[in-house]
Amino acid sequence: MGHWLQSGEKTDGRIAMYEPVLNERQRRIDWALLTSLLGLMVIGVAFIYSATSVQESISRLPWYRQYYFLQILWFGLGLGAAFGFCLVDYHVWARWSLVLYWAMVAMLVAVLIPGIGALRFGARRWIDLGIFQFQPSEFSKLAFIFAQAHFLSRPAEELRQPAVFWKGIGMILLPFVLILREPDLGSALVLLPVGLVTMYVAGVPVAFLRRLMTGATILIALLLVDILFMPPGWWQIKVQDYQRRRLLVYFGREDSYNVRQAMISVGAGGLTGKGWRQGAQTVLGFLPRGVAHNDFIFSVIAEEKGFIGSVTVLALYTMVLFTGLRTASRARDRLGKLLAVGVVTLLFSHVFINIGMNIRIMPVTGIPLPLLSYGGSSVLCSLIATGILQNVYYYRNSY
Amino acid sequence: MLIFNPFKKGDRALLVLTVAILAGIGLLLLGLWYVQVVCSRRYLASQKVQSFRAVRVPALRGKILDRNGNALAENRPSFNVDLYLEELRDVFQEEFSRAVAQQSSILHRRLTRDERSELGKHTRYWVVSNVVQQLSQILQTPLSLAENDFLKHYTNSLVMPLPILDDLTPEQLARFQEQPDKPPGLNLEIQPLRVYTNGTLAAHMLGHLQRTVDFAPEEDLPFFYPLPDFEGKVGLEGAFDQELRGHAGYKYVLVNNMGYRQSENVWQPAEPGHNLILTIDLRIQKAAEQALHSNGADVKGAVVVMDPRNGDLLALASSPTYDPNQFVPRISSEEYQRLLDPDLHPLINRATYGAFAPGSIFKIVVALAGLESGIIHPDVVYHSKGYYQLGRKIFHDEAPAGDYNFRLAFLKSSNSYFIEFGLQTGWDRIMAIGQRFFLGHLARVPLLQERSGLFPNPNWLERRAVLGEPLQSGDVANLCIGQGYIAVTPLQMAVMTSAVANGGKVFWPRLVDRIESQGSPHGEVITAFSPGRLRGDLGVQPYHLKVIRDAMRADVEDSEGTGQRAAVPEMRICGKTGTAQVARPEGGFRRDAWFVSFAPYEQPRYVVVVFVEGGGYGGLTSAPIARQIYQAIQHLERQSSPSYGSLAAVRRKD
Repeated sequence: MGHWLQSGEKTDGRIAMYEPVLNERQRRIDWALLTSLLGLMVIGVAFIYSATSVQESISRLPWYRQYYFLQILWFGLGLGAAFGFCLVDYHVWARWSLVLYWAMVAMLVAVLIPGIGALRFGARRWIDLGIFQFQPSEFSKLAFIFAQAHFLSRPAEELRQPAVFWKGIGMILLPFVLILREPDLGSALVLLPVGLVTMYVAGVPVAFLRRLMTGATILIALLLVDILFMPPGWWQIKVQDYQRRRLLVYFGREDSYNVRQAMISVGAGGLTGKGWRQGAQTVLGFLPRGVAHNDFIFSVIAEEKGFIGSVTVLALYTMVLFTGLRTASRARDRLGKLLAVGVVTLLFSHVFINIGMNIRIMPVTGIPLPLLSYGGSSVLCSLIATGILQNVYYYRNSY
Repeated sequence: MLIFNPFKKGDRALLVLTVAILAGIGLLLLGLWYVQVVCSRRYLASQKVQSFRAVRVPALRGKILDRNGNALAENRPSFNVDLYLEELRDVFQEEFSRAVAQQSSILHRRLTRDERSELGKHTRYWVVSNVVQQLSQILQTPLSLAENDFLKHYTNSLVMPLPILDDLTPEQLARFQEQPDKPPGLNLEIQPLRVYTNGTLAAHMLGHLQRTVDFAPEEDLPFFYPLPDFEGKVGLEGAFDQELRGHAGYKYVLVNNMGYRQSENVWQPAEPGHNLILTIDLRIQKAAEQALHSNGADVKGAVVVMDPRNGDLLALASSPTYDPNQFVPRISSEEYQRLLDPDLHPLINRATYGAFAPGSIFKIVVALAGLESGIIHPDVVYHSKGYYQLGRKIFHDEAPAGDYNFRLAFLKSSNSYFIEFGLQTGWDRIMAIGQRFFLGHLARVPLLQERSGLFPNPNWLERRAVLGEPLQSGDVANLCIGQGYIAVTPLQMAVMTSAVANGGKVFWPRLVDRIESQGSPHGEVITAFSPGRLRGDLGVQPYHLKVIRDAMRADVEDSEGTGQRAAVPEMRICGKTGTAQVARPEGGFRRDAWFVSFAPYEQPRYVVVVFVEGGGYGGLTSAPIARQIYQAIQHLERQSSPSYGSLAAVRRKD
């Protein structure tokens, strides 16, 4: 590490141009990123096992059909995909970004069409591919990051034009609205910070953003007041009943079973936790079996490993995020930087919203915790996202 | 360091992003710290509320043993069949899916939420009642389960197994155990139940139990399920309920989100109750009850057998009796109604709670007062007219007219003689002697069923005087022959007779020798009640007591004595008969038959008091009962088996 840090200190973009020899000796693989990812993956498999092995209907299955093993397969597949992704310079990928973007939009439209999109729990989020239920909204996040980074990597002067600004906003809103239609409020919401932060880092005038934010805030506040406080029958925005309830729960106007049980899990974990597979909430089934291994995996970890476990998980995520930020700061160009920033913001949003809903500082939106929650689309998406970081890191000095 | 790397670039936007992310992580950390460390206790508590159920497990009740270690009350295993509903969950699920499929194919639509839950309810009941029917076939016993009972159990105490059949007979038990493939969830549970080994024997002394559910949990538990427990109501079971019952234990059951039991653990084991070792001798008790019942099963009466040397009670019988086993596990209401019979009062312990006019046995007190005050001289002869006239009132006398000295008057129980000398002695002196026998006071036996009786004392006299009804000489004359304003319990008479027999020592009667912890073969003594606790001394001249004892001996041994039917060969029994006339509420009189006695004359070891309510003459009804008891005692002493432990030991000391 010492050697790597030293060379890292000395080398920044400009100097590297003149010192191609030194450049050749530099590390090409971001080991800090890889280490923390591996750590998260190990934890993920361990606690998916813990959360599901207590269910008789699952533990009776052969090992190769159990969630933890499937998750290992997804990890393998995801690492492979990330590796494959790194073989090609991100500039090459960026050239295809608009194609990806529109393909993604097409997919998001397709999933809404009954017959193509599979209906589960009242939402059309999945395209059934037989062995795998493909969730376009997960992958649309990646396509969106690419497209936006590509779009915003134009010269800084152009970014000051309102037309470019509104185009950028439009790029966010199109998938946002489509995903909202599924409906999948969580995934849709994540697009907003990712898009806005990327625009901010790209150098879009802060005044534009500020005006937009102010306007949006007022609009959202009005919507919330309407949804939460208007008596039924009055003029009221139509939202899905469960979404309305989630908002009510978040604003303390209603009690949700899931959140209450998640908080009990987290709180009952205490400082050191009850031990792996000893979480009463999971064992006794108070934490709903259907979500314990995916959206609520954090409360399983928090109960079984306590505050220490929570801190460990957060530390690993922090490591991933900061390697991402470092990659952003060292990227060869604005495209690389914006890609890294997009990925970092995406991961951070997932982590913040998911863990935040366990301790009730965020509403329940049903988005997965990267690499810890069970789920193929989520795992593939998260690993490819970190693959983007690695790609930017890898090609940071080459031409 | 890599964390500070982005700052060095001087890229403001990245710096802001980094700070924002740091702030976000910090916020999460803070929130997690608050929930997991600061408020952890609160969440643990709510976790406990939703998943923790405490079950109170009653302790094994202590035994009640006689002085030789023979059990009067102990516990027997009762086998119950319970059904663990959680083991039927798979069956429920299967049946439910089938039922839902069937219903929706009939209706050609999906079922609504309400329809599904209604269907679920019925399916569960159907599955459970199926199991009950299977069990019914196995046991060859008709069994049924009401839907309401099941639903009540399902909603209120799902955590507990569903009781199906209590207290299996040996045949049922054998059938259950021989059946190789029983339906799932059925479980045989053993519960200790109180059993009174000798049935009705000593029922009043032992008392009985009542099922109880009213417990305050020892800790503040939100969900609490008591298993059936029993509480002693009267008798020794009642008086020593705390000691016998022990301390209930607790087990905790973890339940899952459906309310089914997940696992259970002993939290605090139950502490078994202590054993009670009595002064009673089971064999004498048996003899006493047999003797009493030789006059009919429903004879209303009581027997007290006491050791005059120390006040130990050897038998305490009351009739009619009842079987305290009927109260376990619960008594039927018609049985209970029978026990409330207004004439027989089977639940009343007549030996301690029955207060009756003593009749002629009270002449012992009158005689002692007369002798002590010098009014009665044993040799002075009094001429009786066969009745006694006081003013216009005539007192009848069973003893014929003639000349009576003390001995003759006593053994023929001459009313005239005792009224004459009693009036001369005066009530004050008689009352003073009666007080020394503690007449009108509780004897304090731990049975929760005792009366003090009635004995005119200075306070009582004063109250009468204030009320304008002072004691007239007619009343005193009546009192001298044990009638009127006087009521005594058979137990008080036993204490009195003991004092006469032992030379003037008035003992507290003792019923419980010691309390021992349950252990084999002998537990640790928790409390010992010392024998021979002196309550008072008569403080009379020993000679006067001897005069009375001689007269009592003559009452049994003399051919003219009223108590001759109590005589047993080779045992010198001393006694006094009494026949109290009691006005019946419906008019007329009934005669209560008393016989107080002790034996042997030389060194009294037994006092036997027999009382039969409405039994006629004491000499005819009660004396023969006493004889049977003495015969049994004689038989026991002749056996002089080594198990006749403590009594034999005491005897050797004499």
